[in-house]
Amino acid sequence: MLLALSEEHKEHLSFLPQVDSAVVAEFGRIAVEFLRRGANPKIYEGAARKLNVSSDTVQHGVEGLTYLLTESSKLMISELDFQDSVFVLGFSEELNKLLLQLYLDNRKEIRTILSELAPSLPSYHNLEWRLDVQLASRSLRQQIKPAVTIKLHLNQNGDHNTKVLQTDPATLLHLVQQLEQALEEMKTNHCRRVVRNIK
Amino acid sequence: METTSEPPLDAKSDVTNQLVDFQWKLGMAVSSDTCRSLKYPYVAVMLKVADHSGQVKTKCFEMTIPQFQNFYRQFKEIAAVIETV
Repeated sequence: MLLALSEEHKEHLSFLPQVDSAVVAEFGRIAVEFLRRGANPKIYEGAARKLNVSSDTVQHGVEGLTYLLTESSKLMISELDFQDSVFVLGFSEELNKLLLQLYLDNRKEIRTILSELAPSLPSYHNLEWRLDVQLASRSLRQQIKPAVTIKLHLNQNGDHNTKVLQTDPATLLHLVQQLEQALEEMKTNHCRRVVRNIK
Repeated sequence: METTSEPPLDAKSDVTNQLVDFQWKLGMAVSSDTCRSLKYPYVAVMLKVADHSGQVKTKCFEMTIPQFQNFYRQFKEIAAVIETV
């Protein structure tokens, strides 16, 4: 699968053959650092001064490189496809080899970073429960009504929140049965086949 | 504190919320995941409050018996003060 690079993207990357390979390698390092920790505009200014170009040019060059790496890693394109995609830029053999190496070296880490960008639902953290007996209420006295109060602790993107729920024992039993049934599904032939294929 | 279908509005309701309903129950916790044998009575209160736009929010809270007695004492004091006004 080939990458289709936009005209703007090609323009940003056209800065790369104008500098020597050591600089491109440094840009590559900055691009990966950008993905790990976020952009640092001061680095662009320092590099722009050293190379005697505008800091916008440096920024576009690094961002173009970053986008090239993330798109390639996202789609997990093969070596051959990467080389063919970069070929249209008309760079030197040496620069093409450098870019390919940059892609192959950092692909796995970039994919790990990209996987963290998927939206996350709240996940289970802890469950506390309490068995109560209701003895009286505003509308009825002299009762004996059992209930289960549950405090569900959830995690979402690092924040904790809790939900307090209450139910009667019959509903709780039904809930437990439904959850056990869901677990049983894992043992069916269909699920086993899917899991085996993923592994 | 009667339950009505529409909260009666007065001069203050633009600023404060109106109490629409006050439900309570008395329960006893007999077991929990941290302690299998309890004998813990509590009062659970469910308040329904309407804001100035008419939206009703529910707030639930629990009190231990000593906390409830303190709660009750506050209202007795309020009632006593109202008598003197």
